[in-house]
Amino acid sequence: MNVYITDGTENCFYTAVFNACTDKDCIVTSSCAVQLPLGANVVAVTADGEKCTRVKKKLNEYAPHALKDIPLLLRRGCANKEQTALEYIRLIMEKKAPVKDMLSHPAVIAATEEMRKVTLEAHRFTGFLRFMEGSGGIFYAPFEPDNDILELILPHFIRRLKNQPFVIHDTIRGKAALYNMRECAIVHTDKKVNVVLSDCEDAFQKLWKEYYESVNIAQRPHEKQMKGYMPVRYWKYMPEKH
Amino acid sequence: MIDAERLKILTESAKYDVSCSSSGSRRANTKGGIGNASVGGICHSFTPDGRCISLLKILMSNRCSYNCLYCPNRAEADVPRASATPDELCELVIAFYKRNYIEGLFLSSAVEGSPDRTMERMLDTVIRLRKVYRFNGYIHLKGIPMADRALVSRAAQYVDRMSYNVELPSEKSLRLLAPQKTKESVLLPMKQLFLEKKAAGEEKGKNRKIFLPAGQTTQLIVGASPESDGQILKLSEAMYRRFSLKRVYYSSYVPVVRHSLLPDRCTGLLREHRLYQADWLMRFYGFDADEIAKEGENLPEEYDPKCAWALRNMQFFPVEINTAPLEKLLRVPGIGTLGAYKIIKARKFAKLDFSDLAKMRIVLKRAKFFITCGGKFYGSDNYDTVKTALMLEERSEKYEQLSLFSTPETSLSVHTGQL
Repeated sequence: MNVYITDGTENCFYTAVFNACTDKDCIVTSSCAVQLPLGANVVAVTADGEKCTRVKKKLNEYAPHALKDIPLLLRRGCANKEQTALEYIRLIMEKKAPVKDMLSHPAVIAATEEMRKVTLEAHRFTGFLRFMEGSGGIFYAPFEPDNDILELILPHFIRRLKNQPFVIHDTIRGKAALYNMRECAIVHTDKKVNVVLSDCEDAFQKLWKEYYESVNIAQRPHEKQMKGYMPVRYWKYMPEKH
Repeated sequence: MIDAERLKILTESAKYDVSCSSSGSRRANTKGGIGNASVGGICHSFTPDGRCISLLKILMSNRCSYNCLYCPNRAEADVPRASATPDELCELVIAFYKRNYIEGLFLSSAVEGSPDRTMERMLDTVIRLRKVYRFNGYIHLKGIPMADRALVSRAAQYVDRMSYNVELPSEKSLRLLAPQKTKESVLLPMKQLFLEKKAAGEEKGKNRKIFLPAGQTTQLIVGASPESDGQILKLSEAMYRRFSLKRVYYSSYVPVVRHSLLPDRCTGLLREHRLYQADWLMRFYGFDADEIAKEGENLPEEYDPKCAWALRNMQFFPVEINTAPLEKLLRVPGIGTLGAYKIIKARKFAKLDFSDLAKMRIVLKRAKFFITCGGKFYGSDNYDTVKTALMLEERSEKYEQLSLFSTPETSLSVHTGQL
C-alpha cells in the first residue's frame, strides 16, 4: 500500500492525485501525525507543474465545480481531508460528469459536509472576529479557527473596512494578513505577538461589555443555545466573554 | 462619548423588541466610507438567553409621553429615564463597527414630546451617520406612528429596513390597551412605504435610488388580548400580501404591569413557537392561513401545525419520495425546505430508499408516516397510532425545550415587548 505524503499545498495534492487516483488502495495525506499501516510504502510527493495541470484540466472538463470545491476541502483542519477530496475526485473521474448534486452518494455526502464546515466557520468569523485598536491606529484581530480560513474571510473585511489599516492574525497557523488601505499581503508570523493598544481601546471594550450585559434577558436563560451558535472555543478573543 | 449608565438604560429599554436580523440589504461601501451590508445577515455575538446580537439595539430616549398599558416605558411607569444625542450614538456605532462588534444600528425611541419631534431626532441621527460619518452598514429604523409622511419617506431613503409595530392584533384591543395609537397610524405608513418602494423599484437607470432595500417588518404581541391564532395568522397573511412585509415577529405576552384590562398570566413560549412555525409554513411552504387554522381556531399544542394539517388531510398521503413534486414534498411533516431540495437533486441520479434519506440527514421520525420510498411504507395504517406516535414524539421534544427555558415562576417577571 502506498502512502503519499504531500506538503499541504493544493498543487502538491493534485500532483499526488495524478498517481493516487488509479492506485486503488492508497492514502494521501499532508499530516505528519498519520498512523502508517503495516507494510506501507511512503512516497514523498513534490509538486509537479505538468501533472498538476493535467489533473486540473480533466477536472475542469468533467466537473468545473470541483476546482472550487477541492481548495475548500483542503482548508479543512483535519487529517483525512486529502482522503475525502481524493474520493470525491475519483467519483468525478468515474462518472465523467459533475457530481455535486448526487447527494445520496457517500463520497459526495462526506465532501459536502466537510466543505460546509469550512464555509460555516468562515461565515461565523465574519461575525465573531474582534479587532482592537493599536496605538498606531492599526486594528489587530487575532483568531484561532479550526480550518484555514484566513483567505476566505479577508475579502469581506477589505470591502467593509477598506479605509482602516488592519491585521488579521491566525495564531494557530502562524500567519497574518496585513492590510494598509491599498494592498494586502499574507505573511508568516510568530504564534504570539505583542500589540500596544490605543488609549481609548479599553473604554470601548468596557462599553461593549456593558451593552452585552444589558441586552441579555436574564430571566430567560438559554445557555445551551448560545453555546450552540457560538462555540466556547471561539470565546478566547471576544471581550464580552471575559 | 456616551457613559455606561445611559447605555445600560437605553439598551435595557430596547431589548424586548424581538427583531434582530441584519439581512436583505446589499448596500456597498463608498469612497472614503466605512462599512457595507451583507445580504445574508451576520450574527456578531450571542447572549446567555440564546438570542443573537447583530445590531446595536438602542433607544434614543425612553422618556415616553404615551401610556400603552403593556409597555415598561409607558409614561406612568417609575423607571430610570435617559436619552442620547445623535452624535453620541453615531460615535458609538462607528467605534463598535470598527471593532467588528456589530453589523449596524437598530434605532428606536419612546415618543418624547410629539411623534414628529421624535422622528426628526431619529432622522437626524440616521442622516448624520450616513453623511457625516459616511457609514454604509445596516440601519434598522423603528417608525413612530403618527409622524409626518414626509419624515417617513425621507428616513426610508437612508435606512435599510423600517418597522412599525402593530403590537395588538385587532382594532378593538388596540383601542383598549394602547389608546394613543390607532390601527391607521400603524398601517398607513406601512402602506405608504410599500407603495414608495414599489415606485422606486420601477425607476430605470440613473434615477434608480436605494429605497429601503431590506423592506419592512412588524411585531405582534400574543396573548395580551383575546384574539385567536387563526385571526393572528390571517392578519399576518394580509400584511405579507398587501405590504410585502419581510417578517412578522411574534412576542408572547408576559405581565409586567398589573391592570384589570390585562391578563395576569403569561402566555407560554409554546404558543409563540407554534405561531412562528405557522408563519414559516405561509412564507416558505406555500400554505394559506386558512389551511393552518380557521378564523376562530387556535393552533394545537400537541403537535406542530404541519402535522396537524397532515392529520386532517390524510387523503394526500403517503407521497412517493422518488416522484412527488416539490410542493407535495414540502407538505410532508418533518421534511423542511432544505430536505426537500436535497431530495429533488439526489433522486435525479439514484432511486432513494429510507436508508439513503437517513444518510442525507433527513429526519424521518415524523416523515415516515407520510412517505413511501420506492413503494415501501414504514408508517402505520391506523390513524390513531399515527396520531399518538406524533404526539409522543412532540412531547419528548417539548420537555427538552421547556427545561432549556426558565421555570414558569421566573418567567413571570420577564418584561414584554415595547413600542
